[in-house]
This record gives sequence, structure tokens and C-alpha cells, in this order.
Amino acid sequence: MSPATSSRQQILGRVHTATAPAAAGASSGSGSGSEMDALRSWPGLPRDYVRRGSLSAQPRLELMMERLREYDAETTECSPEGLPAAIAAQLTRCGRRTLVAPEGLPQDWVAPGFKWKIDRGPETGELEMGEIERADGVLTACFCGVAESGTIILHHTAAEGRRVLSLLPDWHLCILRASQVVESLPEYFDRCSEPPRLVTWISGPSATADIEMTRIKGVHGPRFLNVILVRDEDAGATVNGNRREREENGGDRPGKR
Amino acid sequence: MNAATPHPANRPVLDPAHAPPFPVAALPVLRNPQLRKNVAHAVDVIQAKRARLVEEKADWQALRSAAAAIRAHALENLGAYLELFETRCTAAGGQVHWAADADEARQIILDLLRRECASEVIKIKTMTSAEIQLNPFLEAAGIEVFETDLAEIILQLGEDEPSHIVAPALHVNRSQVREIFARRMGIENLSDNPQALTAAARNYLREKFLRAPVAIGGANFLIAETGSVAVVESEGNGRMCLTLPRTLITLAGIEKVLPRYQDLEVMLQVLARSATGERMNPYTSLWTGVTPGDGPERFHVVLLDNGRSRILARRTERQTLRCIRCGACMNACPVYRQTGGHAYGSVYPGPIGAILTPQLMQMRHAQSLPFASSLCGACYEVCPVKINIPEVLIDLRAQITDQERSRMGRVFDPMYLGLRVAVLIFSRAWLFHSAQRIARIGLGLFTRKDGWIHALPSIGAEWTQTRDLRGLPKQTFHAWWANRGGVATREGR
Repeated sequence: MSPATSSRQQILGRVHTATAPAAAGASSGSGSGSEMDALRSWPGLPRDYVRRGSLSAQPRLELMMERLREYDAETTECSPEGLPAAIAAQLTRCGRRTLVAPEGLPQDWVAPGFKWKIDRGPETGELEMGEIERADGVLTACFCGVAESGTIILHHTAAEGRRVLSLLPDWHLCILRASQVVESLPEYFDRCSEPPRLVTWISGPSATADIEMTRIKGVHGPRFLNVILVRDEDAGATVNGNRREREENGGDRPGKR
Repeated sequence: MNAATPHPANRPVLDPAHAPPFPVAALPVLRNPQLRKNVAHAVDVIQAKRARLVEEKADWQALRSAAAAIRAHALENLGAYLELFETRCTAAGGQVHWAADADEARQIILDLLRRECASEVIKIKTMTSAEIQLNPFLEAAGIEVFETDLAEIILQLGEDEPSHIVAPALHVNRSQVREIFARRMGIENLSDNPQALTAAARNYLREKFLRAPVAIGGANFLIAETGSVAVVESEGNGRMCLTLPRTLITLAGIEKVLPRYQDLEVMLQVLARSATGERMNPYTSLWTGVTPGDGPERFHVVLLDNGRSRILARRTERQTLRCIRCGACMNACPVYRQTGGHAYGSVYPGPIGAILTPQLMQMRHAQSLPFASSLCGACYEVCPVKINIPEVLIDLRAQITDQERSRMGRVFDPMYLGLRVAVLIFSRAWLFHSAQRIARIGLGLFTRKDGWIHALPSIGAEWTQTRDLRGLPKQTFHAWWANRGGVATREGR
């Protein structure tokens, strides 16, 4: 028996012995049987906390924007039709000329008049680290926005890009649709049909308070976060009603019902 | 242990096997006003922010209860969840290693680095790696280690040790950071503005991130259901380490498992608020094995026991393992506030360190730590997973006292002799009353006109050196009650 195997057995043996009285009623063995028992008793755990927010659409969106601004993120709003123009306006205003973007970004977001480098995946043309690092910024969609904490959640689907894309550039422009905004964190989990494989939660730009608890913006991640909120049509009417929505809304197909 | 390098003269000793006892280690700090000021400022700032954000959360107590229940459930079923995690992580392309103790974990990691032909490694802040003293071990093996968390850089370059589990360099102020960075990074005219110091750290690390073949990090949570690992951070150094190198090694204590992804809806709400006083930390990353085209090609998880399964087996102490390392207990602790973290002689300081460290040491070292508390309960009140730290402290004190009692030398120890005499006196009423009479006469000699005892001789001086003692009253409660009872009885008739 190799040492690695014996350590595994030794640790699991000790753990099973240590917890045996608690598990006695359910199962004494190890393996899939006790895994099933454990997961079966999980739904019975107390969950008396707020699982669903109480705000209507307008105040919820306002809260989202307010919390983003508290993190020094820049925010603007636009209509679905006005999005391409809003993107171009933000790029111009912030002086960003060379941009990187994921392959799945909707074509009309790629504003003319700027230099775009599209990250196409390993076979068809993946961007080099250096190219991403040297870009003026990155444009991505997102999966969800959590108003209460001003959190943007990426699942790194085709329109959100691989992780490094939204990490190395100093400036991140993120498109958030009103229909993607939930009030509280548990509502985000309700929108995950199944747990994602890769996730990044972003709450404001990179920051530290390691020196005398003074908050400093921008250490290693992007120093600037810029969010455009798209007022898609079902924002007011259905976001609340959609809480059990099980759709993967990658951001490129707005507000689908 | 061969991993430990000789400590520079002023470097705090955080190896519990060699650290001085708490009262001895605390003395230099108590005599260092600058250090006390730095620590007090930092914990005041974090506590104020935490209090404000907890206040705004109407369901805070319900979140705490849920968080405690989830962690307790995960521990009760730890074996099953660890096996599930292993299965799912392996299926997603990760490789799971098991380390029974620190030695084995260090060796596994070194072997992995050798296999990668890595001569340098970048690190995300992980207290677990400090627990197994990984850095000195790797450096002795010829591998250059670069910490990437700002606070950890300050400590590494300053040849210092962490004093807090969330903000490890909170005992260092800006001018001290400026001095360390200017000297070790070779920057002239560096200002002590935190903005400039942070920028210096960014430049120092940027190319290391893009170059390093391997990163080592910890885990805030392991998700059994998916085999995923979650890391929370602020700076983005974690995201760099998790995505840029070709190989990633995660070192995690076996207790870090959560049953499901959805459990993060509770854990991350309480963690950020408790740890840094934020509604959410800037970055949370979660990944599952390896993903072709995104991030490292190889991913290893080292699951570390190192005494944890022993803690799991004890009924009262098991709750220690619920800890999610938020550090709220140390910020709230009146003892930590005065002494800072180094006095605890462990990488885990404060109230949680006082219960975790001696248990990880199998109660063979760090026996002074469970006594480094006033049992005021502030730690329990702020703990997001409701670890009853005072309860565990008392239980550990009892274990340590039992250990001492079994030692022969203790037979003649004045304290134990005194306690044995006390047992004799308290168990016989006539002896007790006589003792009271003698004490009243004896203490009367030292009682001043103001009714207080300011100085006692011999072993009593240990008390009166720092505190006054109230003199005994003229009448005992017993005598007073008897008199009063007499009156009442007469009236009753």
C-alpha cells in the first residue's frame, strides 16, 4: 500500500470514527451510502434568513447602482436600443482605444472606431497574455447582479469570457441587464439551474486595506470598473416574478421569458 | 523540526512547539506603545465597520444560525462529504492528495513542485501554509517563494510574522512599510502614502504573476457537491494566482468542506461582513478541477488533517472546526487588543487561536493559551458560526489542569496545596466558620481605613501588585441572615 493511500484511509478512518455516534442512526458505513444520507438531511437545515428581497424593480435597480458607486465603480444606464451608442460613448469618454472582448459578445456591442481584439479560443485564435495585459480595457457581459452588495457575477460563458480576460486589463466595462439584477444573494442561487463550473464575483474594483486599514483601490485586478445598466423591457414587470427562472442568461439574449 | 530556519533576534516565534508562554510573550508588546497603537487602531476600524453592516442586516441572527447549522452538519458528515468532494474534483480533472500531518503535506507539495521543475512559486495568502511552516521548508529546498497578498509581502520582506488571520500585517504602520519596501525593493524616495506603497507592491509582483509556473493557495471553502474550491480576497492577487500559472496547488484543512454551492448564499453573507466589514469582499473565485482553455492545466488539492480529526472526535471541542477564519473574534477580544497576535505564539492568534492552537498541538504545547482570556464572551457574540469559544476555553483549561495534576511535582505546588486545603475547609461547616474567623483577624491587619487591602505579603502580593482587594465585611452573610431571620420569625408569630 502506498503512503498516499494509507494516509487517505487513515484520515477517513479517523473522521468516520470521530463522527460515528452522530451518523449511527443514518449509516455506519462509508462511501456513497453515507454521502446520500448526508445530502438527504441537508434540506432540513434551518433557513430563516431572508431568501427573497422585498423591493420593487425601480428601487432594486437604484440600489444596485448606488452600491456599485459606493465601490467607486462608474455607472450609466441606457435602453436596449441605445446600448451600442452607450458603449461607444463610455469608451470615448474614458479614452479607451484598444479593447479585448470575448468571442460570444453580441456583434453590435463591438463599437466601430475602436481597435478590438477578440479572444476566440485555443483553436481559432486565443489572445496572448501580453495582448490582454496591454489592452486599454475589456468589455464583457455578466450572469447576474446582486443589488444588496453591489456584486456582479460572471459564470465565464461565451459572452463573459475566460477568467484572465476580465482580470489583466486595467479597465473593465461590464454590461448588466435590468432583468439580471436580483435584490439579495439567495435570489442569485435560485437563478442557477445548476452550480457553475467557474465563477467570479466582483464587488467593486480590486482593493486593499492592509496598510493602516486605509482602503486603496486597484492592486492587481482592474483598477476601474464601469457598468452600463440596460433597461430591458421586462425589468419592471417580471424580475420579481422570475425568481425561479432557470435560464442560462449569458447576457447576449436579453430578457428572454 | 528541519523545516524551521533560525529566527532573527526580533522575529516573533509562531511555532507553538517553541514559542514562549503567553504571559512571557505578551510582555514586550505591552511595553511597545507603537505596536499597541497600531493594533488598537486596526481593530477599532474593522469593528466599527462590521458593527455598522451587521446592524443594517435585519436577518443577521438567522444567518448566523444557518451558518452554524451548515458548518455543524458538514462536520457531522465530514467523511461522506470529503469522499464526495474527492470524487467530484477528480472527475473534473483535479488531483486530490491526503496529508495526515504537516510533514506529509510539505513533502507532497515539494514533490509536486519538483515534478514541475519549478524553481519559484507564487502564493495566495493561506494561514494553513503558515500552520505547516511551508515557506521555510520550500526555501531550504532551494525554491523561491513569493507571497502576493500585500500584507504577506510586507511580512515576507520585513522578515516578520503574521499577527492576525485576515489582516496579517495590522501591527505594522505606514512608515514601517515604507522603510521595508524602500530597503527590500530598492526604491529611493518612496513616500509613506498607502497609495504609493500599494503601487510599489503592484509593480514588484506584476511580472512574477506572468512568469511563475506554479501557484500555491488555500481554500475558504471546498464544495462537496461539485468538487469546486472557493477563494475570497480583495486585491486580485488571488485571481492572478488562480488563473495565470500552468499548475495550481490548493492546501486545505479537511474541515473546509461545505455540502453544496448554495451554502455560499449564507457563508459569504456572514464572512465578508465579519472579516472586513464589507457587504461583499471585492473578489470571490470558484473553480472546478481544470477547464481547458481557462486557467491552470493541472490542479492539485492537498487535504490536511494535522490534528483536525482528533478535534472532531471531541463533543465540546468539535465546534472549533466550524471556524471560517473571519477574525471577528480577535477584533472583539479585549486581550488581543492589548497584546496583538504575536504573543499567542501561533499563526492562529486571538480567541480562536487560543482554542485551536493547543488542540492542533494535541494539548502538548501552547497550554498557556486557554488561560489568555477573561471569558467575557465577546468572541462568541460576534462569531458568525456561533462557536462558543468560552465553553471550549473552559473545557481546555480543565484538560490542562488535569494534565498538571497528574504530574508528581505538582503535589508540592503552593496553588495545588492551597486548593486541597480549601476542599477540606469548604466541606466541613465548623472548619469553614473557624477559617472565616481567622481570616477576618488576619486580613484585618492589612485592611486600611478605607476598607481596602492595598498590599499583601508573600504569594498574596501577586494579587495586590496590580489590584486592590476589598477587606472582609464586619459580619458574614450567614450571620446577617440568621439575625434577620430571627426578626422575621418573631413577627410571623
